Amino acid sequence: MPLSEEQIAKLLGMVAASEADCIDCDKCFDHLAEFAEAELTHREIPDAMKHIQVHLEQCPCCHDEFTALMTALRTLEGEVTSG
Amino acid sequence: MSPEPDRDEWVTRLRSDSDDRDAAIEELRGIILRGLSRSLNHRYGGCLQAEDVVQDALLKILDSLDRFEGRSRFTTWAMTVATRVGISELRRKHCQDVSLDSLKPEDSMKIEVEDDEEASPAQRMDRKFLTQRLKDLISSELSGKQKIAVRALLEGMPVEEIASRTGSNRNAVYKLVHDARLKLREGFEQAGIVADDVTTIFA
Repeated sequence: MPLSEEQIAKLLGMVAASEADCIDCDKCFDHLAEFAEAELTHREIPDAMKHIQVHLEQCPCCHDEFTALMTALRTLEGEVTSG
Repeated sequence: MSPEPDRDEWVTRLRSDSDDRDAAIEELRGIILRGLSRSLNHRYGGCLQAEDVVQDALLKILDSLDRFEGRSRFTTWAMTVATRVGISELRRKHCQDVSLDSLKPEDSMKIEVEDDEEASPAQRMDRKFLTQRLKDLISSELSGKQKIAVRALLEGMPVEEIASRTGSNRNAVYKLVHDARLKLREGFEQAGIVADDVTTIFA
């Protein structure tokens, strides 16, 4: 079956947003906790962790996991601040 | 998040052989469960409850203690491990009835775009040009594996699941797809088509 117009638009969006990415999903995972804490406390992302940000923008799987992680951490943080 | 004055405290407690280990596991279980209950909710059709994965997540955390290097709070790291376990299981369940067997390299990225008669002549020409360039690039630049992986992704299948169905691993499939994206982008740029054109013509 041919690609739908929606799939073509999605593909073109992915192509347009593509950037060189120097790490893989495992490397991203290894640094995700510290990256999440920096996000959670609104700290500036150190240069050494900029590649995590790039990977999260390029990889839908890791981005999805990061979003879920932030939801979980904000839930726990909310328990502390409200309790 | 609970205050953690000593980052090593969790690891020490979880590695001890006293009753404190059981208490630490139970405490950690509660934290993981509360976090996952919110974060897994409504994802991938909500086909899984946090209770279903909390035990697997705990086992993974305990098995991976050596990988905790103290660069974050222990609970943040543990929640990162638990999230991956939970989301992976969600993806597996969500895609369990989907097969890639019907995808063949020769037609998995087939493109047939109808002419948009309501568009202006210039827009129709741009669309035709872009479509032809995309077809040419897919045909000349992408390998059979790349075509199948990209199509599966466009069908909504996560990279992790594509990997498990193709006997590969997540890193390799991610690289396969990412390289395909870069090749297509480079091919468009060589034809004088910039990123903005690519997204607006088919918006």
